[in-house]
Amino acid sequence: MSDADSERTVSAYVESQIIMTTVRLVAPFSLTYGLFLTFHGADSAGGGFQGGAIAGATVLMIAFAFGIEPTREWLRNRTVVLLASGGVAAFAAVGLIPVVYGDNFLGFPVFKKAFGIKAKWGLEAVEILGVAPIVTGIVIGLFFVIAAGLGTEAPDQEVTTDD
Amino acid sequence: MISPFEAALFVFVLVAAVATALLRDILAVIVIAGAYSLGMALFYAFLLAPDVAMTEAAIGAGVTTLLLLLTIARTARTDHTQLLERPNVPAVFVCGAFLVVLLVTITEFPVVGDPGIAWDNPAITQYYLEHAPKDTGVENAVTAVLAGYRGFDTFGEATVVFLAGMAALLVLKREVFTNE
Repeated sequence: MSDADSERTVSAYVESQIIMTTVRLVAPFSLTYGLFLTFHGADSAGGGFQGGAIAGATVLMIAFAFGIEPTREWLRNRTVVLLASGGVAAFAAVGLIPVVYGDNFLGFPVFKKAFGIKAKWGLEAVEILGVAPIVTGIVIGLFFVIAAGLGTEAPDQEVTTDD
Repeated sequence: MISPFEAALFVFVLVAAVATALLRDILAVIVIAGAYSLGMALFYAFLLAPDVAMTEAAIGAGVTTLLLLLTIARTARTDHTQLLERPNVPAVFVCGAFLVVLLVTITEFPVVGDPGIAWDNPAITQYYLEHAPKDTGVENAVTAVLAGYRGFDTFGEATVVFLAGMAALLVLKREVFTNE
């Protein structure tokens, strides 16, 4: 295996029926599994971090099978940003609700007195609305931004003259 | 005390770890590092830590391997006619010294599953195992500790994950992850 050959196989996208079919079959299950771990993390193994990572990895799998550029076209930047920053905002917002009712930041036991619901709902909200979207968004975001490489390499980018 | 499967897994993880340090071809190293992570994930599952095992399998073996592959796809591969990397003597010395320190401490560790060990202290661990379902209404004690007892810490961790994405954008001088 010469250097030129190996470099080509690493960098160029190869359309493979086997990989595409496998991903087509596996993707619905891995996305469902990721959502299951997120929504069921309170009562069995798993949680927002694990579920979010697997849900994000599903998009990575699709990108690897069908090409990174077509997937990039399909996935809007605002979706990724909304997942990541929306997760941080949701985590902080849920954490501030107990403060409004006179308890500490993230002091979910106050939910019982304030709304008559268990503290569990605070934990669930933090895992499902906070941790999971952040991890999904950042896993997807890191993948596409690293695949794109340095901004200075792309001629259509106009934000490269600031240094 | 240690099953044949665990022994085989231990040898596999150890060989994979040493191979990542010694092999010269970076693509081979990344693939072996992924296999190492998968072995560690199995290990965590054997040590009854399914939450950690899932994280290791998804992030360590899956996402990290993909990100590293993407990174080397954009770099030139150096000549790899030699199979092994020539060891860097000072690095070998530092790693060896560190290994000796670790090996000395490991003999002081109690046997896994030994009942009188420090982290089997009922005052601490049993407290959470017994009180978590009542305090938080959550069955999984790991989730109860992560999102309940030390939720503020988890908030910090989640923010660090968010910042990792922002840092990647900054370093790579981009304003968007995918497309506008």
